[in-house]
Amino acid sequence: MNKKQRMRAALTALALAGGLMATASAQAAGTLTVASPQDPGSWDPVDTFLVNWASVATNIYDGLTYRGPNTELVPGLATSWEELDNGTRIRFKLREGVQFHNGEPFNADAVKFTFDRLMGEEGKKGPQRSNYAAIDHVEVIDNYSVDFHLKASDPVLLIKLAGYGAMIVPPTYITEKGEDYFNAHPVGTGPFKLASYEPKIGIKLEAFADHWGGAPQLSNLNYRFISEPSTAVAELQSGRVDLVIPPTIPIGMIPTIEQDPNIDIVTTASPTVYALRFNTGNGITADERVRKAMIYGVDRQAIIDSILGGQAAPIASFQGELSFGHDPKMQPLPYDPNKAKQLLKEAGVAPGTKIQIDIRGNDATFNEVSQAVASYLQIIGLNATLKPYETNVMLNDIIPAGKTGELFQQNWGGWTLDYDNTAYFMYHTGEKWNPYDSDAELDLLLESQRAITDRAKREEILQSIAQYTANQALEMPLYNLNAIYGVSNRVHNFTPAPDSRLRLSDVTVD
Amino acid sequence: MARFLINRFLQTIFVIFVVTLVVSFAIRLTGDPALMLAQGAGSVSEDDLARIREGLGLNQPFLIQYADFLRGFFTLDFGRSFLGGTPVSQLIGAALPATVMLAFAVMFVSIAVSIPLGIKAAVSRGKWADQAIRIVSLIGLSFPNFWLAIMLVLLFSITLQWLPPSGMDGFASFLMPAFTMGIILTATNVRLVRTAMLETLQSQYIMVARAKGLSENVVLYKHALRNCAIPLVTYFGLQFGGLLGGIVVIERVFNWPGLGTLAFDAVGARDYPVLQAVITILSMLIVGVNLLVDIVYGLIDPRIRTE
Repeated sequence: MNKKQRMRAALTALALAGGLMATASAQAAGTLTVASPQDPGSWDPVDTFLVNWASVATNIYDGLTYRGPNTELVPGLATSWEELDNGTRIRFKLREGVQFHNGEPFNADAVKFTFDRLMGEEGKKGPQRSNYAAIDHVEVIDNYSVDFHLKASDPVLLIKLAGYGAMIVPPTYITEKGEDYFNAHPVGTGPFKLASYEPKIGIKLEAFADHWGGAPQLSNLNYRFISEPSTAVAELQSGRVDLVIPPTIPIGMIPTIEQDPNIDIVTTASPTVYALRFNTGNGITADERVRKAMIYGVDRQAIIDSILGGQAAPIASFQGELSFGHDPKMQPLPYDPNKAKQLLKEAGVAPGTKIQIDIRGNDATFNEVSQAVASYLQIIGLNATLKPYETNVMLNDIIPAGKTGELFQQNWGGWTLDYDNTAYFMYHTGEKWNPYDSDAELDLLLESQRAITDRAKREEILQSIAQYTANQALEMPLYNLNAIYGVSNRVHNFTPAPDSRLRLSDVTVD
Repeated sequence: MARFLINRFLQTIFVIFVVTLVVSFAIRLTGDPALMLAQGAGSVSEDDLARIREGLGLNQPFLIQYADFLRGFFTLDFGRSFLGGTPVSQLIGAALPATVMLAFAVMFVSIAVSIPLGIKAAVSRGKWADQAIRIVSLIGLSFPNFWLAIMLVLLFSITLQWLPPSGMDGFASFLMPAFTMGIILTATNVRLVRTAMLETLQSQYIMVARAKGLSENVVLYKHALRNCAIPLVTYFGLQFGGLLGGIVVIERVFNWPGLGTLAFDAVGARDYPVLQAVITILSMLIVGVNLLVDIVYGLIDPRIRTE
């Protein structure tokens, strides 16, 4: 071996070693830091209703079913299921050899424990129980199969089992450590396990190598709670945060981020829809012609193009394209100010009539939208004033009590992506979000689809409900807003989730 | 002196008591936390709400809830947050030091800058240095602090990437929030020091001190500064109290994990136990600082002790 050869050999050895190191680090390496707008305070699945609970907890827990960003329902901790007795009993085959983070085995007892807890005393204190009211009890058949006995069939139940209150929790751990301890020290079967949690500051997770789906690509996953959007974006720009999740980035900040060469905006259709609903009980908006006139009178596409920077799609009913019950053939009423004026004249509404639009004061983007709406209404001869409320006051004290103006803001977006979850709450008699209406025909339609498990038939009824509400012009459907993520260039393999339930096990970082 | 202290102490207790009563009562007029908690849960019946209220202890009459709060206060058990059930004492235990440390940093920046500048301005009254200091402090006074905060973040975090834009994470993270709040206080403080100093410098004992041949620094910092300390200590003390309350905006912009952020979130979530505890603690701090100012008075100026 001469000198030159020795040199080459040394270099080859070095390169090989380097290559080895690189492959070693490609497995479970790197830390991803996520900015999340809110600390839910408890990581217990039965305690929460917050989307930002799910954007963390989807990595800690598994459900019997799983639904990822492509919105397809696939097996989770259950490998298969079968609907029996006209949909009032579901038999699940459970995945074998699965472990909780603390080493406890996952089996039929854990499933029974989870749902006994959700439907029992502990669940009664929290907001999740009512979503699973269809479940009567869970019966253990053998170590790896369970029967769900239902009070009535629930066509959306399998989707509901993929998130929130239905996340499977470890029985021995909770019994031994107690409920309070579990709130701050969650244990599940998911791809990441808890490393540390500092209330109001952040939560740190680390890879759970024994996850049944294989070890995640990242070794650490850190969440920081940052509520102020401009602060979260500054952290992203300065490279200390890799991912900013919705609902944080306001439309107005998108250009700033797009100009930055190190970060990108990634968007996807979301379930969130915006409408101005009408006071159909009293005043001029009790007249269907007036409601239709207002819809004709507002150029919604122009609002989407200018104020929303194209990050939204027009809607014909109070649901987006992801919603089960969405009818692609249904078109929104066109912008037609002349028709609007004519309808108002027919209804005997004098030009200059005053109306009030109630909005949430802290929603800067929607404030702009509603100002545009008010100007459009001005053009057809309605004198609209905006009344901003504190969000919680509006949601809890104004709308349910029927104290709104002629129009009021409503945003909605159910993670189940099923129109039932919107329509039933908005239009059924006596529901909290339906303070003005009582329509027997609509009630009947809404109730009928809940008993049907045949998907095609159910979709047909949901579509007819959407058509019915559009014919009656129960609201001015505005738009379906995208879910907006800010992502650093060092992040790869990231797929934006429409519902913020992000599972980050395939993501890698440079 | 003892009687003076006891008097002031009793007043302090009374003020805190009234504050807790008013806060506990007023916060319950803002709306129902059970509705908040059930917001995301589609259909909610009155029964569900009643159960949630019972779980939170809101079915009790106000006086019992208030008595519970007072009792908890003396045992340092402030109950649990409505949102997630974290013990309030744990939240306060993390947030209080963060806020107090930031407030001290702000005061430090402000005092360290304003005393030398104020004295310089007083000594060179009417000359260009005085004018320059006055103009600069006027500019400082007219900055809205949140705007200044955003500009600093743009420059030091995003463009230069020297400082973290938010959070409490070591010495570097103190610089921007302390400077932002500090600069605005400094603007007022410089003028205050200047005025107090001007008055003192005209008195006869300063003339005597100078006549004795003492160095200018000894005259200024030992004789003059001590004599004009009374109005300054009062003002700085009150300022510190005000600062604890006024730090909310800055805490929010810098995502500082302090009492302001805690209170802000608690208002949004109708989280009574957290809000009650934060406001009570803030009022105790403010009232306590005032008491301290009174005591320090006595130490600086023996005449007050006997009054």
